[in-house]
Amino acid sequence: MAAPIIETVDFSKRFGALKALDSVTLRVASGSIGLLGPNGAGKSTFMKCLLQLLPFDSGSAKLLGREVGREGRDIRKRVGYAPEQDCHIPGMVGCEYVTYCARLCGLPFQAARQRAHEMLDFVGMGQERYRKIDTYSTGMKQRLKLAQAIVHDPEVVFLDEPTNGLDPRGQVQILELIQSLRKDHGMSVILSSHLLHDVDRICEQIVIIARGRVLVHDTLQNLKARRRGAAEVVVAGRHDDLMREFGRNAWPCELLSNGHIRVEHSGEDLNPLLRLMHSLEVPPVEIIPSPNALEEMFVKALAENSEESSAVGASN
Amino acid sequence: MALHDTQYQHWQGRHVGIWSRRAVIAGQGLKSCLQVKWMRYIITLCWGGALVQVVALFFLGQLLVADSIVVEWLSNLNPQLQAIGRALTSWLEGHPEISVRTSFNLLFYFFSNSLMTFTMIAIALSIPHLITRDLSSNAIIIYSSKALSRSDYLLGKFATVLGLMVLTWLGPVCVAWFMGNLLSPNWHFFWHSRLALAHGVVFLGGSMVVLGVLALGVSAVSSSSKTTTSIWVGLWLVGNALIPIAKETKPWLRNLSLSYDLEQIGLSVFQLKNDFQAAEQNIPLFGDMIRAIRERSRSALETPDLTGALVGLGLMMAICLVIVARKVKPE
Repeated sequence: MAAPIIETVDFSKRFGALKALDSVTLRVASGSIGLLGPNGAGKSTFMKCLLQLLPFDSGSAKLLGREVGREGRDIRKRVGYAPEQDCHIPGMVGCEYVTYCARLCGLPFQAARQRAHEMLDFVGMGQERYRKIDTYSTGMKQRLKLAQAIVHDPEVVFLDEPTNGLDPRGQVQILELIQSLRKDHGMSVILSSHLLHDVDRICEQIVIIARGRVLVHDTLQNLKARRRGAAEVVVAGRHDDLMREFGRNAWPCELLSNGHIRVEHSGEDLNPLLRLMHSLEVPPVEIIPSPNALEEMFVKALAENSEESSAVGASN
Repeated sequence: MALHDTQYQHWQGRHVGIWSRRAVIAGQGLKSCLQVKWMRYIITLCWGGALVQVVALFFLGQLLVADSIVVEWLSNLNPQLQAIGRALTSWLEGHPEISVRTSFNLLFYFFSNSLMTFTMIAIALSIPHLITRDLSSNAIIIYSSKALSRSDYLLGKFATVLGLMVLTWLGPVCVAWFMGNLLSPNWHFFWHSRLALAHGVVFLGGSMVVLGVLALGVSAVSSSSKTTTSIWVGLWLVGNALIPIAKETKPWLRNLSLSYDLEQIGLSVFQLKNDFQAAEQNIPLFGDMIRAIRERSRSALETPDLTGALVGLGLMMAICLVIVARKVKPE
């Protein structure tokens, strides 16, 4: 495993009686990391505690090899953060704001101004950069937040729900930008989202958090491999014959509302499934391997956690 | 298709130090304050006051020297004044340590106090631009996520309000001193008025620190600009209203007045009592008149309530520091 960018041991944070982070022990390598979890799971709290925007209660954490809580200023020099909520300075125009953020990170004025314009170009903002931020649309504000987060060329950038409030086209654009930061420029990206599609699209590693606990931490590839035996089969007819044959092979299956058949074929690849369909002379229109693997993993992890919590509650 | 025309470039330059970053916060705060039209008017008024002070010092300088243009001109107006004027100025000329020091000290005390009113108005206008708007717009999160600590942020904001007070208060006073001396009949004025300047700088410096802390505290009370501005104006006006009430009821109440406390500190720093005494004993012809003034203001001049003022201001500052500590957080 490459040198971790995040390392936490029993990292905990409480809000009164609520455990926002419950002894989180994690070791995350550089890359694009998706923090997944339902609303209120503790994703944002985890980010904020790492960035020291919130004090943590116990445990220890290292970000980029530096002790969180002791080397805050130094850590934040190497880290960018785009919060979920709007956080601009009223009355400022876009380029002035990004320049100001760059200067707060320690860039000299000339460099800050030049870099601000480069970043605004990068996030696709044109002449609107000379307008007051108060007049921006949600999409522009999201772009601006991304620009201010990367203006000082950080090693890691934390993005909290960066596609919130965007239309589908805007979501795609922002996700492509984020993906490019990782793929083309080597910046580690930590993306917090409750939108599985966003994470599925750009992240290499997944951390699923619920009720302040890390339920799953693995690469997306491994997670999908765990669900390798599932597929969605689209056929023109003879659904019943096909499902009967799946049943005879002890492959659980169901007919979905869209007419597709979902089958758990337990094979490492699609060959057994294709052989069976060939023997039955049912040509597939389409086969979708491992559909919604992340979503299933997410739901399963949450369900397991919920059962576990109930069991603990009952035993008490 | 690429969504952006410009590729991301890594930056490998040298970072500036933490003091420069604090100065960036201060500069931005000051710029934001100066965008308020009324703030610019107030600052202009303060510098107008400095100009008046320079003119006053010019005439004072001319009066204190026997062969100056103004004395000549006055003598020509009324020959009877000539003898009195000559006698007085020749005496004053012989005792510049009294005449220059005393007159400059008195003038600087009144000038500093009169500019305090404008400064209080300027702070009232600046209050929303210090912390209030950062709280309401969540900009505080952005500051906290950069390579800055909370104390860096607060120092930057403190420097903003100090910078503003330099523009409305300390700057006009110091420039008035320099220009007044530059236009004086001889260079000795610089030397003999040094104490007046020192008193002014000490009094204004101390007052600026106090007002700066109080302004930060009030600015952090709420995320509503109207609320924080009202609290500042209320603190000032209610404090002023307390002075006559305290006289009739409980004298310690007046120490809850910002203006009263600063006035007491001003009296202690400028030591006007000594100036009046020196003038009364040494200036011929006017001794009785000066004695009468001193008698009327005996209590204020001779025993300024320094301890009470320091306790009052200390208490207010402590409350403001607690407010800042509790309120200035990213969450």
